[in-house]
Amino acid sequence: MISGLVQILLFQGAGELVSNFLLPLIPGPVIGLVLLLAYLAARRRVPEDVDRVGSALVQHLGLLFVPAAVGVVLFLPQLRSNGLAVALALVVSVVLTIAVPALVLRVLARPR
Amino acid sequence: MITIHEIWVYLSGSPLLALILTLGAYQLGVLAYERAARNPLANPVLITVTLIAVTITLIGMPYAEYFEGAQFVHFLLGTATVALAVPIYNGLGALRGRVVPLFVALVCGGAVSIASAVGIAALLGADGTILGALWAKSVTAPIAMGVAERIGISPTLTAVFAVSTGILGAMLARFVLDAVGSKAWWQRGFALGVASHGIGTSRAFSVSEEAGTYAGLAMGLHGIAGAVLIPLAFRMAS
Repeated sequence: MISGLVQILLFQGAGELVSNFLLPLIPGPVIGLVLLLAYLAARRRVPEDVDRVGSALVQHLGLLFVPAAVGVVLFLPQLRSNGLAVALALVVSVVLTIAVPALVLRVLARPR
Repeated sequence: MITIHEIWVYLSGSPLLALILTLGAYQLGVLAYERAARNPLANPVLITVTLIAVTITLIGMPYAEYFEGAQFVHFLLGTATVALAVPIYNGLGALRGRVVPLFVALVCGGAVSIASAVGIAALLGADGTILGALWAKSVTAPIAMGVAERIGISPTLTAVFAVSTGILGAMLARFVLDAVGSKAWWQRGFALGVASHGIGTSRAFSVSEEAGTYAGLAMGLHGIAGAVLIPLAFRMAS
């Protein structure tokens, strides 16, 4: 359990370092993700500890969004004055963004 | 004699209160979701955020103070992003023979997401801050916030839009996917992951393991692609 967390944190740290000094355009955690992916691919399997910690984190991803999302209270006046635009943009866009890939896959995918 | 006021002053000065509030509200959110038989409309994150926003407004706790305690939870978002490598790696085998359709679907979905959101908001006269924060909203929140910082947009507002998109996608996906006649779990999951990242992925996992794997794959690929392409596209557009 702890060793899985340590490994993931090490990749996060490596990602932050690379982002800071070499690739400022890409956020550190994304580079960490790619590095961990490369490590898993090289090992050809997911170490059990990493799997356990990784699965737990991903399973409760929703919780981790909460502190940032509560920031909505800061923008309430601005959101209210742009209410219709924001609501329509978010709802229509998410419907289209679900529908388009689903349609593309239905058309392009052939049964195996 | 210790008064309630003293206890309150002590508690609100430590990160503990915000942490208990965050985890406790989430527990209630998940409980409500389970009670509602995992109905997509009873989205646990929406319930949690609403509970906390109402609570801190009622007790007069400024957001900055709340975040100071809740940042320990927030910090793990970066760690969880790295950990996405695990579901992506597990999903890579499933990619075989489907690489081209999945990539076409991802690129189309990402482009449609930005064009439709920014287009509609601009047509309806939303201001520049709002428009900018819509760019990265279909990318998972930690990456979206990183992208927003890099293009000079408010990371908090971007996160709010990203989470709203995640919640809306998780709530509406079943109806949209049924309407367009999508049947295979892997296709339904992938479409949901492209549109509504982490929250969509949790939703997909709670319905089907296969859908969850593909949703995680879509979220990860969209995150990586978005981190590179959105800042470039934003600079070209502005």
